[in-house]
Amino acid sequence: MTTPRTDPPLLTAEDLTKTFGVTPALDGATLQVYAGEVLALMGPSGSGKSTLLHCLAGIVAPDAGRVTYAGRDVFAMSDAQRSALRRTEFGFVFQFGQLVPELTCLENVALPLRLAGVRRREANRRSAELLTRLEVSDVAQKRPGEASGGQGQRVAVARALVTEPKVIFADEPTGALDSLNGERVMQLFITAARETGAAVVLVTHEARVAAYSDREAVVRDGKVRAPEFAR
Amino acid sequence: MSAPGRRGPTACFGDLLLGIRLGVAGGRSGWFRLVMTAVGVGLGVAMLLTATALPTVGLARADRSEARSPGPGVEAPGPDTLLYAKADTNWRELPVGGLLLRPEGGQAPVPPGVERNPAPGEMVVSPALAELLAAPDARLLAERLDARVVGTIAPEGLSGPRDLFYYLGVDSLEAGSFGVSRTDTFGGGGRGDGATLPAVFLVLAILGLVVLLLPVMIFVTTAVRFGSESRDRQLAAIRLVGADTTTTRRIAAGETLVGTLLGMVVGGLLFLAAGRMVGDLVPVRFSFFPADLRPVPALVALVVLVVPTAAVLVTLSALRGVMIEPLGVVRRGRQRRRRLGWRLVPPVLGVLLLAPLVGGLTDGTGTLVEVQITAGVTFLLLGMVLLLPWLVQSVVHRLGGGGVAWQLAVRRLQLDSDTAVRAVSGIAVSVAGIIAVQGVLGAGQAAMTDRHGDSTRFQASVSVYTEPVDWSAERITTTLADTPGVDTVNAVARPFGVSGSSTVDVLIADCDGLRFYAPLPTCTDGDTFVADGRERPEIAPGASIVLDEDDPGTRWTVPNGIRPVEQYDRLVVADLLVTPGALAVPTPEPSTFLVRLDATDPDAIEQVRTAAYRIDPLAFVSDFDEQVTSGLLGTFEQALQVGAVALLLLIGASMLVNVLEQLRERRRLLAVLSAFGTRRRTLSGSVLYQVGIPVLLGLVLAVVTGGGLGALLLAMVQEPIRFNWAAIAGVTGAAAVVVLVVTAASLPLLWRLTRAEGLRTE
Repeated sequence: MTTPRTDPPLLTAEDLTKTFGVTPALDGATLQVYAGEVLALMGPSGSGKSTLLHCLAGIVAPDAGRVTYAGRDVFAMSDAQRSALRRTEFGFVFQFGQLVPELTCLENVALPLRLAGVRRREANRRSAELLTRLEVSDVAQKRPGEASGGQGQRVAVARALVTEPKVIFADEPTGALDSLNGERVMQLFITAARETGAAVVLVTHEARVAAYSDREAVVRDGKVRAPEFAR
Repeated sequence: MSAPGRRGPTACFGDLLLGIRLGVAGGRSGWFRLVMTAVGVGLGVAMLLTATALPTVGLARADRSEARSPGPGVEAPGPDTLLYAKADTNWRELPVGGLLLRPEGGQAPVPPGVERNPAPGEMVVSPALAELLAAPDARLLAERLDARVVGTIAPEGLSGPRDLFYYLGVDSLEAGSFGVSRTDTFGGGGRGDGATLPAVFLVLAILGLVVLLLPVMIFVTTAVRFGSESRDRQLAAIRLVGADTTTTRRIAAGETLVGTLLGMVVGGLLFLAAGRMVGDLVPVRFSFFPADLRPVPALVALVVLVVPTAAVLVTLSALRGVMIEPLGVVRRGRQRRRRLGWRLVPPVLGVLLLAPLVGGLTDGTGTLVEVQITAGVTFLLLGMVLLLPWLVQSVVHRLGGGGVAWQLAVRRLQLDSDTAVRAVSGIAVSVAGIIAVQGVLGAGQAAMTDRHGDSTRFQASVSVYTEPVDWSAERITTTLADTPGVDTVNAVARPFGVSGSSTVDVLIADCDGLRFYAPLPTCTDGDTFVADGRERPEIAPGASIVLDEDDPGTRWTVPNGIRPVEQYDRLVVADLLVTPGALAVPTPEPSTFLVRLDATDPDAIEQVRTAAYRIDPLAFVSDFDEQVTSGLLGTFEQALQVGAVALLLLIGASMLVNVLEQLRERRRLLAVLSAFGTRRRTLSGSVLYQVGIPVLLGLVLAVVTGGGLGALLLAMVQEPIRFNWAAIAGVTGAAAVVVLVVTAASLPLLWRLTRAEGLRTE
């Protein structure tokens, strides 16, 4: 059963095209992301799903088309404005966590808050709370290299959530984990994201990961096929 | 590759060979690493090889000087004798050597490199001097050496290609005159430059050598770790296929050896190529012929042995700080806590070696003491290299707080400060050494200043001891006073009096002239002063002194009321300082002419030199300012500064290579940081702190060590301890500039890597 969304989309991609060299990655991709929803972008390798995610996040500029966030054209903004947008409104989770190896896990989670100007003590307090919610408080004072893969990925999720972003972009967040750890990470991730009300754009090619989403969009040959409504 | 647990020389050799193969077949990035290492090591080795040739260069210069020095004196004139006199002069800060020649017969010896002795009015000059005389801005020198040039001196008669030397034929030399000697040969008269080396120069020479060579060696050990992170990743891949830790270390050693050996070849070629040019690039006093640049075989053997050994040891030591595991994962283990105890041994040893020499180092000190000083200075500076990693680790582990940039930098240093410290220790040694050198140099300069008197009153003096024909003291005074650039001239008589059985140094000048030699509280014509500490019955009031032994009419009685005066520090130019009014006898003929120069005329001293040369080529001109700021000390300072700048550039380059390598290694992470909105200035600031913190700590340690070493060395040569704060500020400032330049130079790459598009590299 599907529920129609009447509210305006939070994030939209309109007719995006992007080519790397002679290889087309996006070819008229159009997509809407609504506040609070979990949207899975699925598709085979090389279909353009990661490129679409990077365009939506304001990381890679499309050759043509428009990306809007809350009605504002993302690529009409200056580089500094886009950076500020990513710092304050967006969160990111990558396949390998990409935590800063020299910082402790707690400091890694606190990093986006510190970048946003939050004082160290407050940033650490909020980060510690989140690590507890994600059940990795025991590695708070350890460096990423000393934590397991699953723990590291949960720390990365905490880092993405800590600024209470409106949208979280997750690119194959469980791609480097075994199924058991992947399941646990996804449960904790989606639960925490729903609690904060953040929308999640989830790139995956695994059906069991996509099962955590409200809506699935399939990317193939640079085009998006997405249902209008959430399931 | 050896199987895990396999041991023995064969396995060891096999692993080394595999490392060597990996080193030369590592693909494009492998080749890049190899080239970087080879070039870095090559530059260092070229400098080390140049240093190994310094003894032969010095000896060759000395031999060449000896070959052109007139031989032992001969009493009687003959067909094979000639009269000669040294007539050295200066052109600005350059020394110009000269010999006046007057053959006494047809078989008179001819100097090396010269076809025949120049006839009166003829001159044979070195090629460098010929070039200088033809230069438009050396007009005053050309006016001074205005004889007809009839030839140039061949290389066998020169100490170096830039040697400024001339032979002037004259007919005015008379046997027995002041400064004139007779000989029947050239060469064998002792090495020209072989005068006893003052203790302060010995200390400076040793210090200079250590200060320049130690950082070169440090640089070499830094260069062998260029690209270390990607090498470590490569080793991790080898671990995956079954290599154990010992094997990986051997492979790493093999790979290091390739780069180092290639670097030694590059260094050898650079040495051969640059050797042709170096002789022309060094200061004039040290210029040498390429053929004289012959490394001492024993020292070359030492370089060939020490460089690869040090390279392998550094690699193995660096590998102790990382845990290389299979699956391509290189996890850095917790940094080992560095211990202070053993690191204090070398500096303490250095102090123990130097301390016994405090107050006891005299001019012309022997070889054993030279070795002791060299070892002491080396241990002390080496100790600093060992202390720096401990200091950086101890300090960064206590650092906290600050913004994100600071936090990223501090945490990075907490995790791994080795790479940064390796490069910084080179800067630290350089800075510490230069601070110590500047201290000793300052003392040397001050000592020389003091030996002249108050150079604010008179800036030069002309001494004419030969009583040249037609030149009375009055005419000399007038001629000098009329010279462009001269304000006033003060004639000073300096007779050697006799009182009873002892000689008495007397200095006769008006109050203005006397004040150059001693700070007189009051002085009027008629006053007489006695040098403080020199009072004795022979010069007490009432004592009778004959001012000129040949003229009994110059007997003078020391008046009553003479006052003791302390002459300028270290200078006891005379027992008695007498104003003309105090003499009841005719004033002896002045021989020294104090000259006050027009400070606005930069060529005033050259005008004086030219005027003095025309009065008498043997007249001796002292430029008090020149002796303070240039001369041998100036040349040394200049050489040291050039060396230090070259070193700083070299070390800066290695720091830059390290920073760029780290950035490339972290490009994915940087892109991620950028993706979630990290500002560029945060990341730039992080790089600045990461480079700057170790440098700052290195500089603090360097200033303390350099200051301490300088104080120790000054105490050794019995000079008052003083610091050249301007020099300290200059050299630390230069190091700070290196930090800024390295940071600035890394920014383009940093910005390129922090483009969020970098995420696509996965």
